[in-house]
Amino acid sequence: MSFEIATNNLHEKQDKKSYDRNKSDDLQISRTDMNMLIMNYLVTEGFKEAALKFQQEAGLQEPALCSSLDERIMIREAVQGGRIPEAISMVNALHPELLDNDRYLYFHLQQLQLLELIRAGRAEEALAFASATLAEAGAADRTALTELERSLALLAFPDPHASPFADLLLPSHSQKIASELNAAILKMENQEYTNPKLCSLLRMILWSQNELDKHNVKYPKMTDLANATIEQIHKLRR
Amino acid sequence: MQNLSIFMDIESSRSYVDELFSSEAGSVVEALVALKNAVIGSNRQKSSVIQQGVVPRLLQLSTDGTLDPNIRLEATITIGSLAKGTPENVASLIELGSATTLIEILRTSPVDSKLTEAALCALRSLFLHPQAPISALPADPSLLAHLTQIAREGTPTSRASIIRILSIWCGGSAQQDALCAAGACAAAAAMLGPRAPQALPALDLLAAMCFENAAVSQCAINTRHNDKSVPALLSSLAGRSQPLPVALGAARGLAFLHRAGALDASDPRVVYGALPCLARLCTRDVPEEIRATAAETLAYLAEVDTTLQRLAAISNHLMTSLADIVTCPSAAAKQGAFKCFASLGANDEDIRKKIIETYGLMLHVVNGMNNPEPMVRLAAVRCLHSLSRSVQQLRTTFQDHCVWRPLMQLLTDSPGTELLTVGSSTLCNLLLEFSPAKEPMLDQGAVEMLCALTRRPEAALRLNGIWALMNMAFQADQKVKQRILCCLGTEQMFRLLGDADTRVIMKTLGLLRNLLSTKSHIDAIMQDYADQVMQAVIVVLEGSYPCEVKEQALCILGNIGDGERAKDLLMDNEDVLRKLVDYLAHPERSLQEAALFCVSNLVRAGGAGAAARQARLAELGVLRALRLLQRRTTTNHTVKAALAQFNEFT
Repeated sequence: MSFEIATNNLHEKQDKKSYDRNKSDDLQISRTDMNMLIMNYLVTEGFKEAALKFQQEAGLQEPALCSSLDERIMIREAVQGGRIPEAISMVNALHPELLDNDRYLYFHLQQLQLLELIRAGRAEEALAFASATLAEAGAADRTALTELERSLALLAFPDPHASPFADLLLPSHSQKIASELNAAILKMENQEYTNPKLCSLLRMILWSQNELDKHNVKYPKMTDLANATIEQIHKLRR
Repeated sequence: MQNLSIFMDIESSRSYVDELFSSEAGSVVEALVALKNAVIGSNRQKSSVIQQGVVPRLLQLSTDGTLDPNIRLEATITIGSLAKGTPENVASLIELGSATTLIEILRTSPVDSKLTEAALCALRSLFLHPQAPISALPADPSLLAHLTQIAREGTPTSRASIIRILSIWCGGSAQQDALCAAGACAAAAAMLGPRAPQALPALDLLAAMCFENAAVSQCAINTRHNDKSVPALLSSLAGRSQPLPVALGAARGLAFLHRAGALDASDPRVVYGALPCLARLCTRDVPEEIRATAAETLAYLAEVDTTLQRLAAISNHLMTSLADIVTCPSAAAKQGAFKCFASLGANDEDIRKKIIETYGLMLHVVNGMNNPEPMVRLAAVRCLHSLSRSVQQLRTTFQDHCVWRPLMQLLTDSPGTELLTVGSSTLCNLLLEFSPAKEPMLDQGAVEMLCALTRRPEAALRLNGIWALMNMAFQADQKVKQRILCCLGTEQMFRLLGDADTRVIMKTLGLLRNLLSTKSHIDAIMQDYADQVMQAVIVVLEGSYPCEVKEQALCILGNIGDGERAKDLLMDNEDVLRKLVDYLAHPERSLQEAALFCVSNLVRAGGAGAAARQARLAELGVLRALRLLQRRTTTNHTVKAALAQFNEFT
């Protein structure tokens, strides 16, 4: 008997949850909060012009730009534009200790340089460069070695873009490294948040969903973060 | 810059090195930047640059005040990068005098300049090397004042760097005092804000400065920043909201302030700040290296104060946490846990009982004594020493686990001085009369080992050696006593009676007393060693020794007076008898009583020659002295009893 009652209770709870979600429009999120989050994203990630434009259009206060914002923008542009030596040189001028302290990050920048050579089809140069500079990091760090092997494997394919490791040549890869570098610079400057707060919020959603999944709770799950697509709960029920 | 650094291989580019000697400032800067970009991130390039002998030129460029500031800055930054290479690279830099050069740059550059920052970063890397160039930084007041000014007013990086350097440099009372005088307390306090990521080096510096230094600790607790005192700042950093290493550093600072006498054991910042924080950091979900240090710090915090020991023992399941840390693989963790158990059980029998019975520690201690790491062995023996203060444990658990076996093994296996000191202290306890370990230890050569200890140059070891022998001789059978006397030798005994340490003399006389007890032993020993023993006693009675030492010597005479044949030795020695009469009138009560004890033994009626002894003593003025004594101290029973013996005779 008691089992029956317990089950009923559970159903009621779930119903209540989905009910709440449907009524989530009642929960107020102020426009200012949204604007601040977006501004924080633009500033932290180094989108200076966009930040200033956004400030004008949204009528916000002057954003608190970090002293290194200009440099960080230039560094990001250099990394994403494949001008790695220039980026390294700028990082060294801004924070001389950074790349000595974080050898893995330095390896990632050199790896990008290697990928540039591979992309340009300069296979011999790529091999020479890898053995002269990247081998050192590979010998010291197993993770780096694996990544180096993946990069060099691209050379084995007539069309690297069609290889299983093509992801390394996508702009998203250099963007990832650029963000990694950006966060490292902010950390060096003792910024409290090295990642945009929007990222933290989205991470929080993923973490919560993970916890719910672990406990086999049924709930409307966000399956696509970029579009905020939420799976309907009845689809989950068998 | 056409040929960018990433393609530059130092070995194949002598030209860059040549450019460093160019008269053209622009070319030099360009070469330096290229060199810098080549070495940053690559140990191979750093080694290559150092091997090519570029460092002296870089040092020269960095110090030359007539050069373009950019040249000096880039050269210094490049040295800084080289200092982040392999330990061998750092050693070469130190050998080439880089530390001295960098300090020279600091002396002459503005506090908030980029050059100062670069020099400090480089110097910090050198100081983080195991062989830090401590001596390159002299305890010069004006230099230290300049450095602490940087710590207050420099760029954030400069401040963090100099505080870290000083925290490594500070390793003795001279440096502690010099830093304190230069205002380093205030400089460190200024970096203890609630969200300061810089707090760690500042916490380390404060701890290094306050360690066992009462004056500096007093100065630290009177230092304020933003209206908060240093202990208050530390308390808030020891809170749960702080990162674990910061909380550990803060609790460590409070512990050091307490041990240096600046904070009382009942101070809320010790009781509710440091103690619970350290207990929390010992728990299972904390990383091992933090647990290890937390346990060791807690051991130090509670080492002497019984209240803190009791409090710690019931805090946050500390004992359970420690029992778990003992099983951690790292040597540091085992060491920390053993030390902490040793502290907790130092004074309180209940805690010792709990440690042994609830957590089955003895097996771990025995294993610890066999650990390949010397520091674990030492900590295990410390723990054993603390637990050996329990009479009950000596008779039970110690016996069950035969702890004396690994202990004797350690002590005969050419141990270090520290291990020998703690180990022999433990032996003193194991050799107490009631301990069942006594017999098997004798078989293991304990007497020989202890006699060897009394010949050590370290006073603490001589003391432990003679102390343990004294304990061993207590109520021992005659065979053991003969073995001790034979092995120690009378010559060594005389040497010990002339020891610079009064405690050693006391225990030597104590050993003699224990050897000379029970009638048959007294007579047997005096038969062989009469001359030496009497000589020893006279040496002490005539020498300039403190009262408590002379008292022991008189007690030995008393023991001798208790023997059958040995009595006559005293009676035949007029010199000694006259001394006894003098001591009966001595202003010091304890000496008076000791002399009285001896006289009582001699005048005792009955036995062969009692009447003759009494007559002789009366003749020497003993009777008169006793009557005088009786008039002064009417309540003394011994005087009455002694006189009563005489009365029977007269």
